[in-house]
Amino acid sequence: MSEQVADAPQDSPRDDHEADAGRDPLSMLFQPGAWRLERRLYTRPVYELYATLIALAVTAVIIGLLVIIVGVSPLDAFASLYEGAFGNRESALETLVQATPLILTGLCAAIAFRAGVWNIGGQGQFIAGAIGTWWVYDTFSGLPAPVLFVAMFAGAAVFGAVWATVASVLLVRYGTNEILTTVMLNFVIDSGLSWLLSGPWQANNTPYSQTERMVESAFLPRFFDGSRLHLGFALALVMAVVVHFLVRRTTLGFELRAIGVNKQAASYKGISVGAAVIAVMAISGALAGLAGAGELLGLHHRINFEFGGQAVGFTGIIIALVARLHPAGVIVVAIAFAGLLNGATQMQVGTGIPAALVDVIEGVALVLVLLAAVACRYRLRKIAHHG
Amino acid sequence: MADAAQSGAAAPGENILVAEDVTKVFPGVVANDSVSVEIRRAEIHCLLGENGAGKTTLADILYGVYRPEEGQVLLNGRPLELHSPRDAIEAGIGMVHQHFELVPPMSVIENVVIGTPAKQWLDLTEARRRLEEFFADYDVEIDPDAEVGRLSVGEQQWVEIFKTLYFGVEILILDEPTAVLTPQGIDELFRILRRMRDEGLTIILITHKLKEVMDLSDRVTVLRRGKVVGTVDTADVDQRDLARMMVGREVLMQADKAASTAGEPVLEVDEIHLRSDTGRGSLEGLSITVGSGEIVGIAGVSGNGQNALFDAVVGVRHPETGSIRIAGQDTTESAPHRIATLGVASVPADRIAQGLMMDFSVKENLVLGNQRERQFSRAGILNRGHIDAFATESIDTFEIKTPSAAQITRTLSGGNLQKIIMARELSGQPQLIVAHQPTRGLDIAATEYVRRRLIQERDRGAGVLLMSEDLDEIFQLSDRIAVIYDGRIVAVTEPDATTLEEIGMHMAGASDTDQGPP
Repeated sequence: MSEQVADAPQDSPRDDHEADAGRDPLSMLFQPGAWRLERRLYTRPVYELYATLIALAVTAVIIGLLVIIVGVSPLDAFASLYEGAFGNRESALETLVQATPLILTGLCAAIAFRAGVWNIGGQGQFIAGAIGTWWVYDTFSGLPAPVLFVAMFAGAAVFGAVWATVASVLLVRYGTNEILTTVMLNFVIDSGLSWLLSGPWQANNTPYSQTERMVESAFLPRFFDGSRLHLGFALALVMAVVVHFLVRRTTLGFELRAIGVNKQAASYKGISVGAAVIAVMAISGALAGLAGAGELLGLHHRINFEFGGQAVGFTGIIIALVARLHPAGVIVVAIAFAGLLNGATQMQVGTGIPAALVDVIEGVALVLVLLAAVACRYRLRKIAHHG
Repeated sequence: MADAAQSGAAAPGENILVAEDVTKVFPGVVANDSVSVEIRRAEIHCLLGENGAGKTTLADILYGVYRPEEGQVLLNGRPLELHSPRDAIEAGIGMVHQHFELVPPMSVIENVVIGTPAKQWLDLTEARRRLEEFFADYDVEIDPDAEVGRLSVGEQQWVEIFKTLYFGVEILILDEPTAVLTPQGIDELFRILRRMRDEGLTIILITHKLKEVMDLSDRVTVLRRGKVVGTVDTADVDQRDLARMMVGREVLMQADKAASTAGEPVLEVDEIHLRSDTGRGSLEGLSITVGSGEIVGIAGVSGNGQNALFDAVVGVRHPETGSIRIAGQDTTESAPHRIATLGVASVPADRIAQGLMMDFSVKENLVLGNQRERQFSRAGILNRGHIDAFATESIDTFEIKTPSAAQITRTLSGGNLQKIIMARELSGQPQLIVAHQPTRGLDIAATEYVRRRLIQERDRGAGVLLMSEDLDEIFQLSDRIAVIYDGRIVAVTEPDATTLEEIGMHMAGASDTDQGPP
């Protein structure tokens, strides 16, 4: 990317940026009568929050209309959805269980997107993390439990980071589009996992493509009896704080935000764009890798062909975008999305609405939040005149 | 243009296009404040003003790019409702912007035909005939089949002008058409514009250069801060009158500057070759030396290698052959970060694209590039206290007008943006300052400020490499002047030992040295 530093001759002076604001294509398209859409020079963050909340409210209305079409009262549908997600202690805790990998994959996407690097490979890096965890477990099973846990999480982070680095090296070295490479690497690692599960790592005496079950001493501790909520949730929250600190308070964070805003100026000011891209992709992949470790050690305790079937890597992308790439937002949105997933079953049983409605909700919310993000950069102004 | 003469309700000398009390507001700026202008048929009418005076906005309103909040535009006495440039073209008004609107990979003819009303069949034969007629008629040598991207900037401008005339407009608006031309190219443009006027075309020319107004125009309307100062017959005024109208006070035509003697060389560029991807603006064996305590001005038409020279010195691109030494150290292959640590400050030509993070806060931009310095971070963690203190001090010292250090940079004016860059770059007492177009787009006050700072830095002992297309600036600031043409320095002289005309000849490649034009 640093090679792309423009060398177009700057033949003509740049307009004042005030004038650029008025020349914005959207403003020019939309000029009804006495009102005019104008680009704001600067959007206050609180407006962005309002816009997001309005978008979510509109999402609820649209989903409500869909539910009416199916012939169910929206109130009933939402009530049973809520009941299933947060209605009692068990369901609320289960929602947090589901939120755990989503927070991490959401952070994975958020930090990469913040740097303007489009890592769509969270899913593959999640799988890589699980593979790394199992490899450490398999290879160093003799280690004492605390050391083994640290080593397994480290293995997950490293494997996730390495898998992401494949794409970032291709990007930095050859300019290969990272969207394409990260997406395709998802397929590669899926196939790699299938091979491991039906070959070297396949459990004895079973026709299934799966590993042995881990020994109980390698299970992540759980917080409460009767709930699957495990230590991985706390790890996810800690990582959100770490990511926030990293982005806002460190030189690396400063540099990765810089390349996310303006790569050309960053390279003119001596920031190595390539090094920053490699670093942010490694961190991003490591976060997804940790999600893989958490799921393996906290919930499943073995890898089988269904591992990763929830596509948490892809949902993480949506979560990051809806959260506007903010770590705290990622936590909130991940829990909300997990609640939807968790409540969907109850809603299906209670009202007959297919659980797949949750996918529709996610999609509509994403589109509307992104629209709102654009819309709040504009304001409507009444103009005096016209002849 | 033949078509044009017939439709007119107005005879030569009568008002053809009138703006009445036009007001246009952008967020935070009144670009045009109740502006009224009367354009007469078959005259050359200059809109004169500083950057930001509202000239281009007014022209964009006449051309339908913007709709004014108040006021109206009259064509031949009838109100004109323009919703887009297309409406303007249909009404007979054409405009050539500073940013050309051409498709580089397509041929001249194809570019001209784009935008003509849709027909069933694309008749390039007819277009070619008319275009060749135009070119022959006006002695312009351009191959209609040439790829536009390969033409020089001056030739591209001709394509823009003829494209507009091809639509059959009777009013032609030109926005700073001379910015991309050599003095000789300007003469040719003016010769042809005068002839077009004599044939009945009405020409509106936007400029901030007094000399052009005096040379070319019949009448001139001066704008200042979005308002009309007045419209006068050019014959009745001189440059000094116009300057006073434009700036609102007497203008010092000279910057105060003591004589200086150059010390040890801080920058030695030796025979560097650097090929640019587009093929234009490459360096073909350029050499230049800058000593401490001197300002070396590089004059030249843009696109002759200035960008490549800037990039090579600051380390963003590396020359294929030749060497660069800064303060005695070889930096030919050094990364920008390392070059900066040698005490090199850079003020890039495009401050928004190359110098600033517009979505960062002012204080973040003030430390951009120095974030790893011990002053601003320890062990990779930013020291926010020191950054805030430094920012507050810089905002004070450099008179940056911002509500706070945490303000988002995007909301600041062009002059303040440049002050942020100057504050950042000069904070480390640099040995070498590389400044490319440091005052472009700035108002007079900010321009004076930037020039004064550069002279101060020189007096402190810094070497300054100043690249500018503004010859007045070159003459005012430089201790030595070098002319860049086609990737080489074709002349080095001193301001007292040369003239504007001589520099202009060199800029056009018409050198009498053996390094002359290819």
